[in-house]
Amino acid sequence: MGVGATQIDHIVISSNDSAATAKLFSENYGIEIKRVMSRPGTGAHLEFAKLDEVVLEFAGPGEVKSYDEVKARIGGVVLTVTDIDAAVAHLRGLGYDVSDARPAVQPGAKISAVKAGTHGVPFALIQYNALPVEAPNA
Amino acid sequence: MKAKRIDHVGIVVKDLDAATATYARHFDLAVDSARGGEVAALGIKNAFMPIGESDLEFIQPLTAEGPVAQFAAERGEGTFMLSIEVDDLEKAVEELRSHGARVGNPANGIAFVSMKSTHGVNLQLIERKTS
Repeated sequence: MGVGATQIDHIVISSNDSAATAKLFSENYGIEIKRVMSRPGTGAHLEFAKLDEVVLEFAGPGEVKSYDEVKARIGGVVLTVTDIDAAVAHLRGLGYDVSDARPAVQPGAKISAVKAGTHGVPFALIQYNALPVEAPNA
Repeated sequence: MKAKRIDHVGIVVKDLDAATATYARHFDLAVDSARGGEVAALGIKNAFMPIGESDLEFIQPLTAEGPVAQFAAERGEGTFMLSIEVDDLEKAVEELRSHGARVGNPANGIAFVSMKSTHGVNLQLIERKTS
């Protein structure tokens, strides 16, 4: 079995002010922001939009410092896989440095980063429905 | 304007054949042989590898001039561009310009937005003709 990638899940737009970049894309390009959150642990400011099947993730620091201008770039690409543990094992077998799959910020999902060997593209793999999702308290 | 879909992500590489071979062998993607090739006007050659409803476009500069060559010289390989599909390219360009965005003239169904109008993200707008 190979990686089993089925689609681009999301594309990360890294910015020194992710709220400002998300606002620009929302106002100028009609991209509706659906979710805003702080990443647990790091406090990074994340905003999410969805265009058809692909999510745009605007990511930046939790505390925005003063800056001369907002600077953003395409930070990475995340591919959906059907079995992340098998995909990680497959890539490690080919010699790739791949992180252990860990819980993602998306409920029930696990994510793993491919650290090199992708022609300069920061890649990650994500599998949904990989973990039980706690039901909200009644 | 209303962005419709992520059409493709452009990735600058040094060796197109090596890059597509990597993604074919290791990530199970396949080159769409109906598209891509040399684009002399842009000084590049490219290949598209579909995944889901989008593509990864691999772009190799063939000359030392132009934005792809400049990216390669400054940053090496990496994610270069985001291409967003719109329903009506002319209308989208007109609307963006009315908001003060700097956008190139549409040609062959695509238009490039100045990075000054995107916080530095290299953005392409594309209109897909439906048959």
